[in-house]
Amino acid sequence: MDIWDPPHYVAARVQRAIAEDERTNELGIRVDIRGDHLFLQGQVCEEDQRERVAQVAAEAAPGMVVHNEVICVAVGEPGEQEVL
Amino acid sequence: MTIRIAAVGDIHLSEHARGTYRAHLDGIDERADVLLVAGDLTRHGTVEEGQVVVDEFRDLGIPVVFVLGNHDYHSDAEQEIAAMLRTAGMYALDDSAEVLLDGRLGVAGGKGFGGGFAGKCASEFGEPETKAFVRHTREIADRWRIALKGLDTDHRIVLSHYSPVKETLAGEPPEIYPFLGSYLLAEAADAAGADLIVHGHAHAGTEKGVTPGGIRVRNVALPVLGRAYAIYCLGGEEL
Ligand SMILES: [Fe+2]
Ligand SMILES: [Fe+2]
Repeated sequence: MDIWDPPHYVAARVQRAIAEDERTNELGIRVDIRGDHLFLQGQVCEEDQRERVAQVAAEAAPGMVVHNEVICVAVGEPGEQEVL
Repeated sequence: MTIRIAAVGDIHLSEHARGTYRAHLDGIDERADVLLVAGDLTRHGTVEEGQVVVDEFRDLGIPVVFVLGNHDYHSDAEQEIAAMLRTAGMYALDDSAEVLLDGRLGVAGGKGFGGGFAGKCASEFGEPETKAFVRHTREIADRWRIALKGLDTDHRIVLSHYSPVKETLAGEPPEIYPFLGSYLLAEAADAAGADLIVHGHAHAGTEKGVTPGGIRVRNVALPVLGRAYAIYCLGGEEL
């Protein structure tokens, strides 16, 4: 028997998986669900972490189309000094 | 005399980052007199990741002061990671203080913790779990007060992972503010006196804030800064 999973709980489950899965442990990722599309937003520090986040999300929500809108933070040159 | 403080947090180095971070710190000894690192040094808090942090930050030519963050506690190796940093000639604060630059600068602090902000915070009431959560923050704040009061230096900085104010959380969902910091940390700094509070943890937050007592607060989480580190000058105009 198929049980309908309200999108609200799917999003919460995916967000928790991304935070708790040892492959990612990424805390600030936002998960939005529209129909069978799953959108990931937020920032990570490494390019391959972006891919791991999408992988963990896909496993936690099988059957959904994952759109990975997470961006990788670029570490720029140290900028201006601030005098306090 | 001006002191140039370089600061960054939430570098989250995993073993994949080995050998890659050091380049961001090249030349820092010419730009700054001290480097403060505001916790979440690692991703999972393992000893192996701690070793990556040690190797990327050692021998920079200026004092380097760390506090740990929640990620650095995840594998129950926080004491070992702190010991490794100290063995490599760096400082790791654990609700303690260090005097640097021949007594010109004192840095006090530690990880900090959550609980929320005045008027919208948890209190030591009810279930033991709730009381333990809030007590942890209160005891940390008490130790910071003592550590700060013991510093007889020209300037004093508080280094934390969690935030002491909510201004620097702007951009984070308000629902999670109680997990991002506590006003008790600001209250301790305001009571004992400090020139600056540096923290991380709130990756989606904002760089600049101020405590109710007027101490400047800077959120230096790497995603907030978008640059390798910020530089703050204390004690007058940069020459
Ligand atoms: Fe972090
Ligand atoms: Fe954190």
